[in-house]
Amino acid sequence: MGEEAWQLSNPFLGIAAIIVTFILFYVVGYISNRKSSSVTDLYVAGASIGPLTNGLAMASTYMSLATFLGITALILQLQVPFIMLWIQLILSIPLITIIYGTSLRRMGAFSPTHFIRERYGLSASIIAALFMILVSLMYALGQMIGIALAFETVLGIPYLTGLIFGGLVIVGYVTLGGMAGASNNAAIQMVIIALMFIVPLAAIMKAVGGSGWFFPPLLYSDMVPAMLEAMPNFFDYQFSPKWYVSLIGLTIGSLGLPHLAMRIYTASSLKSARTAMVWFAFIIGLVFSATYAMGFVGVYATETQGVAISAADADKLTLILNLVYNPEWVTALVIAGAISAGLSTLSGNLLAIGALLSQDIVTVLKPNLYVKTRLKLGYIAIFTGGIISILLAINPPAFLVVSILWAFGLAGVTNAPLIIVGVWWKEANKFGAIAASVIGGALYIIVSPFVFPTIVLTGHSVTDGMGLSGAMLAIPVSFILLIVVSYVTNRIPKLSTMLTTKADHILIERIHGWKDIHPRRYNSTIGAAITVAFFTAIAVWAIMPWNM
Amino acid sequence: MNAYKLEVRFTIMMSVLLLLAGNVALIFSIFPVNGMLFGFPIMYIIPILSGWFGILFLTIVASKIGNHIDEKIEQANEQGDPSLEQIEGFTKKKKNYEGA
Repeated sequence: MGEEAWQLSNPFLGIAAIIVTFILFYVVGYISNRKSSSVTDLYVAGASIGPLTNGLAMASTYMSLATFLGITALILQLQVPFIMLWIQLILSIPLITIIYGTSLRRMGAFSPTHFIRERYGLSASIIAALFMILVSLMYALGQMIGIALAFETVLGIPYLTGLIFGGLVIVGYVTLGGMAGASNNAAIQMVIIALMFIVPLAAIMKAVGGSGWFFPPLLYSDMVPAMLEAMPNFFDYQFSPKWYVSLIGLTIGSLGLPHLAMRIYTASSLKSARTAMVWFAFIIGLVFSATYAMGFVGVYATETQGVAISAADADKLTLILNLVYNPEWVTALVIAGAISAGLSTLSGNLLAIGALLSQDIVTVLKPNLYVKTRLKLGYIAIFTGGIISILLAINPPAFLVVSILWAFGLAGVTNAPLIIVGVWWKEANKFGAIAASVIGGALYIIVSPFVFPTIVLTGHSVTDGMGLSGAMLAIPVSFILLIVVSYVTNRIPKLSTMLTTKADHILIERIHGWKDIHPRRYNSTIGAAITVAFFTAIAVWAIMPWNM
Repeated sequence: MNAYKLEVRFTIMMSVLLLLAGNVALIFSIFPVNGMLFGFPIMYIIPILSGWFGILFLTIVASKIGNHIDEKIEQANEQGDPSLEQIEGFTKKKKNYEGA
């Protein structure tokens, strides 16, 4: 089987599947959106969503087009190390919930930037919001690339036409839908997406001779001997422990993702948010495991079945496997599922951009704006963010996952330390926060290959491009700056008049549920010193040779 | 301070356990293991199983303990320590957030 142009021979099947899926989503969005009349409703659906729906919505927001298209492409490229990279991304919602989600929910904040504003003041929050907009745009970029590839496969049209057509349809949907529509939709989407991914995977596994096709996420061990024979190094870890340590940067990055943290605030109570976390872990574990199986089968098919996939088509691996082994109508459903996955994540990204721009920047600078004007600004920001992500996707990176994971790293550098330290250490102040996000963020951008291709830490293009090496250096630097600068400036009398120390202490006690102030709570200097020592060691290790 | 200590210890311990369960590959990259389990190489299937069922188990535990700590903090608030400064403007601030 030689290389070929992969597309549906009957584009009407694909269009029909997409239209039916969209009608379903529009109807649910319309019904739930009739209730959305306030700003709070638009962004967090009035904090009224039950645990299973919220858990599904969390999973759906997290399970982006990367799950359908991106992961399998990089499993084809890197094999098992990429699976190991992806596994720890399940930690996002559990860690957000445990470390700061419930605290921020108790505070009543509906975005991490809102917390940063209350904790560190306006300047720090505007800087954080600007970085978060960049994070959301880079995340949305990955989705846009995937959507363009999906439309390219359905209609046999060029990538650029698919991008503009598909991008505009989806941006229009999100702008009209709001989070209430998106949350209810996201739960339905999650069920549909999971079925559209796992059922066709079962059929593919059966077609290539796998006997465990009835539960594809875990039952493909009978294909392992043939895989080892055809590709003996498939299961090799390939990289040193340092590379695996750098993956934790992605975990920290997921703690700073604005659109993900927002899902905690849609829960009806703290208990409900914690139960949603359990559902999230179950569902996302199932889907992630199915994705590894799809990647395994993809490599198996190329190595043992003669399916040839060019480097340029790597992101289409899931679609290509369906085109080769399943009837066209199944591929059409998979494409509709992929677009749904992109849709739910993109809606999360764009709504985060809307909230960041209208709530966290414009309203902060102009607090007397009418509620209706703020709502309008939100819609304009959502639409503009969508258009910018379409424009960025015109000249995309080699793999769509690269921009998404790079965004994780940036969130980990500029946002996560401010929230984590801000929630757990009273001494953290605005000088430390500004130093951490500005210097840490600039460092991360400088050592990424997109701005100065010659200033990189490893020289291994995927490792640098995904931000693994940059995050391993910049996240520790950000934590160190936040702690050290805060500690020093708190002890300079001239600067202490510019700080709101007492209000900060009250805020921290309150978001942990306390109604009184205890000077020894959340105020450990030893804990801060240990954190600085630990991160100094990691930062030094990051700049030493990677030998890749 | 008991509820406070419990909260801090729980957060640190649970974060470490979750990080370990999600990063079994890091441990295997330092201490490689040969052999097969359920038909897969051990270094492949254990990280996948731990990254699903291990994390699921920990979230169930974290959910239960998190709710328990909330109750403990609430109890400590009710008992109240008169030597400590009470948070002023609690209701007012909360109202402001809700209106934001």
